[in-house]
Amino acid sequence: MALRIIKLGFFALGLALAFDPAALASLGGDAASIDADAAMMRGTQITRLSPAYTVREIAGESSMDIHEFSNGRGVVFAVSWSGPVFPDLRLLLGSYFGRYTDALATLDHAGVHRSVRIASPEIVVESSGHLRAYHGLAYLPSELPTGVKSTELQ
Amino acid sequence: MSASPRRSSSPLGLGIFVAASLLTACRGGTGTPAFSGAPAPVPNVVVLIVDAGPTAAAGAVNHAYVTVNVCASGSQTQCANIDHVLLDTGSNGLRLVASVLAAHKIALTPLSDAAGNTLEECMSFVGGQTWGPVALADVHLAGETATKLPVQVMNDTSSGAPPPATCGANGTLINGVSGFAANGVLGIGVFEQDCGQSCVAPATPLPLYYGCTAAGACAAANVPLTDQVTNPVALFAADNNGVVVTLPNLQSANGDPSVQGTLVFGIATQPDNSLPSSGITVLGTDAAGDFRTAYNGAATGIAALIDSGTDSYAFSDPSIAVCASGAFVGYYCPAVAPLSLSAVNTGVGANATSSTVDFALADPNSFVAGATAFIDLGGGGGSATFTWGMPFFYGRAIYVGFDQRPAGLYTGPYYAY
Repeated sequence: MALRIIKLGFFALGLALAFDPAALASLGGDAASIDADAAMMRGTQITRLSPAYTVREIAGESSMDIHEFSNGRGVVFAVSWSGPVFPDLRLLLGSYFGRYTDALATLDHAGVHRSVRIASPEIVVESSGHLRAYHGLAYLPSELPTGVKSTELQ
Repeated sequence: MSASPRRSSSPLGLGIFVAASLLTACRGGTGTPAFSGAPAPVPNVVVLIVDAGPTAAAGAVNHAYVTVNVCASGSQTQCANIDHVLLDTGSNGLRLVASVLAAHKIALTPLSDAAGNTLEECMSFVGGQTWGPVALADVHLAGETATKLPVQVMNDTSSGAPPPATCGANGTLINGVSGFAANGVLGIGVFEQDCGQSCVAPATPLPLYYGCTAAGACAAANVPLTDQVTNPVALFAADNNGVVVTLPNLQSANGDPSVQGTLVFGIATQPDNSLPSSGITVLGTDAAGDFRTAYNGAATGIAALIDSGTDSYAFSDPSIAVCASGAFVGYYCPAVAPLSLSAVNTGVGANATSSTVDFALADPNSFVAGATAFIDLGGGGGSATFTWGMPFFYGRAIYVGFDQRPAGLYTGPYYAY
């Protein structure tokens, strides 16, 4: 599909914001929460528009590449990440972070769990990799736009 | 602990290795060496064991453990053999649980960062993060020694600094013996340091290493390579260009109670670690340590590694059912087992060979209770990485070639089999 790419010229101010994960919730949040995320990560934003959703790319200073996907109602229904260090999932998962950690705790057999997939009707989290290369995707199945498959969210 | 820790062998015993025991006998004698010519190579083999894990956290599956002799840096007496350290070809550096060190009365002194604050690390294993200071230790494995090795002391409550808010808050810390089902993690992946150049001098330090004040305030810090948590094998005087991990085939498709293999130090440095000149697949990795795997006919590959720290073939295939009950919740429970699968591995860079791997997934509900080694265990995982976990090791010799270290015809980083 033809994507239009809009450079927002977002700033990299290095603002020292008070950290409040609830206020900065991304997944399930709206565009304002993405702006807040970009400021927290001191990143630059690029917005891509597809017929079914909007992608905002936040390239942070830690070489962390975050993509946040909004549907037609402006709800962030998915977030993906890729980078050399692990992202702050409290920031990216927002109010869903607790469900993720609860599900992690139920996994059988202790270990490093270098690749996990947590799936529930409310949220799916795929997370894998190692130092120097972590990758992940979290999405809300009920907010996926019609016809959009999770495998295209990268 | 004896007064000569350098010659101490693991309690599992190296005696089953004829060559190693001969060499040990030779080195252990006094007076004139029995053989003339080149100096005798040091013993370079330790036993690998797959079992239920440390007593404090039994129940592990597909965990390969080694025993590591650890001394406080410079000490000949503050030493101990620490058993059930998880062998991890997917990370770099030795990490030991603080309570285990304390039980052995080993106190490691933390390093300081450039500002004089205590150097700590928040290491992420995806399933959770671990927090603790970086300290120097002298580490002995078979006849090999890594002196002044920066190691991570996990969950060290004595260092005084709690993890920052971004490190493992809300239940995702896996610091202790029960979290790892191990007393520590021995990372012998393809790199010398865990982070490398990315942590040395960026304008904004990566949120990995931290400098912590005496009051417990921590800020991300840049760290020179020499102070980063380091792969101990890379610091050996010899046999320092890689390792060979060998485990036997399993006897039962439904699980073996325990198996033993070997961890050999060096590649093509001694008769026991030669790299075959043919019939071997050498998969070069990128700067992150990944080659590529194209699963099930995919046109392009995704990031992949051969990882003894992962207990299963871990990958994403939503068409395969996931166990919802039993002892393997979250692992794959194929409707018809064994489920035959295939993938193509391709190296990156100079070592860009390809190899097709046929493998299978069993139904874990058919596994024998009490077994610890399972050959066809699959686990649901992230869609961006293909992790060739422990099942891939059974019946193979896996070579882990270190970054920029030549070994025979090949130079790392690579995984080979």
